[in-house]
Amino acid sequence: MKNFFKSSGDSYIKALTLICASLSFLAIALIFYFIISESMEALTKVGITNILFSTKWNPDRNQYGILAFLCGTVMTTLGGLIIGAPLGIGTAIFLDQVAPRRMGEIVRRGVELLAGIPSVVIGWFGLTILVPAIARVTNSSGYGILAASVVLGVMVLPTITTLSVESLRSLPPELKEASASMGATRWQTIRRILIPAAREGLLVATILGMGRAIGETMAVQMVVGNANQLTFSLTQNTSTLTSRIVTDMGEAPPGIFRSSLFVMALVLLIFAMLLIITIRLVSRKKGD
Amino acid sequence: MKATRVDRIATFFFWILGMISVGILFIIVGEIFARGLFIALKPSFFLGKPEAMKEGGGILPMIVSSIYLAVLTLLISLPLSLGAAIYLAEYSRGGKITRFIRFCADSLSSLPSIVFGLFGLAIFVVRLGWGYCLISGAFTLALLNLPTLMRSAEESLKSVPKTYREASLSLGASRWTTVRQVVVPSSLPGIITGTVLSIGRIMGESAALIFTTGTFIRKIPLNPFQTAAPLAVNIWYTQSEALVPDYRNIVNGGAAFLLLMVLVVNLVARYIGKFYRRRKGLS
Repeated sequence: MKNFFKSSGDSYIKALTLICASLSFLAIALIFYFIISESMEALTKVGITNILFSTKWNPDRNQYGILAFLCGTVMTTLGGLIIGAPLGIGTAIFLDQVAPRRMGEIVRRGVELLAGIPSVVIGWFGLTILVPAIARVTNSSGYGILAASVVLGVMVLPTITTLSVESLRSLPPELKEASASMGATRWQTIRRILIPAAREGLLVATILGMGRAIGETMAVQMVVGNANQLTFSLTQNTSTLTSRIVTDMGEAPPGIFRSSLFVMALVLLIFAMLLIITIRLVSRKKGD
Repeated sequence: MKATRVDRIATFFFWILGMISVGILFIIVGEIFARGLFIALKPSFFLGKPEAMKEGGGILPMIVSSIYLAVLTLLISLPLSLGAAIYLAEYSRGGKITRFIRFCADSLSSLPSIVFGLFGLAIFVVRLGWGYCLISGAFTLALLNLPTLMRSAEESLKSVPKTYREASLSLGASRWTTVRQVVVPSSLPGIITGTVLSIGRIMGESAALIFTTGTFIRKIPLNPFQTAAPLAVNIWYTQSEALVPDYRNIVNGGAAFLLLMVLVVNLVARYIGKFYRRRKGLS
């Protein structure tokens, strides 16, 4: 036994696979390095406060405030979660507790396929069906936070459903049996036993859905209207960080303008890392 | 009595939610196909050359770009992710390094694809000077897909029973021989399923590619250093620029074709998984 661990061919292979495994670290490090170094020009010449706390975005006049887009991202993400989280968690409970076998199979596969639909296809659907419908009902252009929220709700649904089902399935079956044997109805078991027991898992599912919503780009860009104004109206054209990057990058010459778009990517990068750390904290608590 | 009535209302409510979720899929797929499938399946469309200004263009170079890109991406990411998975499943013994690698992979998989796009632009297109081309896009997507491929390969490797390894090792095979000749072959169906699923993701990806591969071409790209326009990216470009008079038709047809490709790829992946499970059940 000792021999085979020491055999030199084997340790070569081990080193080689370790290098492959450490590529994830290398990738993260390189992404941070390049996004930060490309952001530096805007951060130093315009200043962090003028970028983060100003709503004025006029690259022609040297104004690079991204607050309006930050608000757009926050509001569309919240909107997407308000639609997607109850629907996703509800569907997960349906799949785990309520659905007859065959129906559950259909819904589960449907949700899996929904996850695979390319975001440009969902965006095109939103642009040609949802936006005109909203325009008709609300007498507006139809573009804006409402349209983006619905689109994001659809896009976070599979993430939240799949992860919620996993966390419900990982609960010990005795929990449910014990509750039922005490005479509890299914709904009482779900509400009093299953949801509290799976709370951390459902929270993690929602946070990961949130990450998806913050980073979603193409579908949002197609329905949000892409105006560079701060708005709290649900049906006025506005932008998110991601949609702004896509809208402006094609025309931005190298320089402060382009660099300011990298600052937005840096903000997205920091958001994503914060979410991952939050998830670690939530699931660690569960482990205790 | 009241509790049972509440229970019945709740049951009804969960049924509604489940039906809405699956209904969304049917509505989107139905609408996209109803509008675009008859355009998408016309040979003059999916085998046709795109037009920059006139109407009547096709999407063949875009379809070729998408497939070419998927092949290149997998050529890069498959060996790397398999290597990483072998380390995590076969060689590592837990510990700090493994936990750190997992943390990095989790972080990588949670980054928005637009961030990968800008990173790819900064490093491959500009710094390395490759320009907008297939290979810039392929490297970008290889990084994007690395964590998912790694995870699915690792899970397939781990699902191979311990006894297989012990049997091989007891015959005097080295660990690497065991991995190469016993573990990887036994986990191949799982690895293939994961790979096919990632082909679907690559074909649907657009945000990471707009600034790395290019958005419009008229000729089929042959050299990987040539500018390309994967279908998903081109759909976005066509609807956003609206340069051709029949852009709505092109986008309807392109979206239907893209959706068809992705659905077929997903069904193939599922079929492979099912086939494997059935065979395993028999043996």
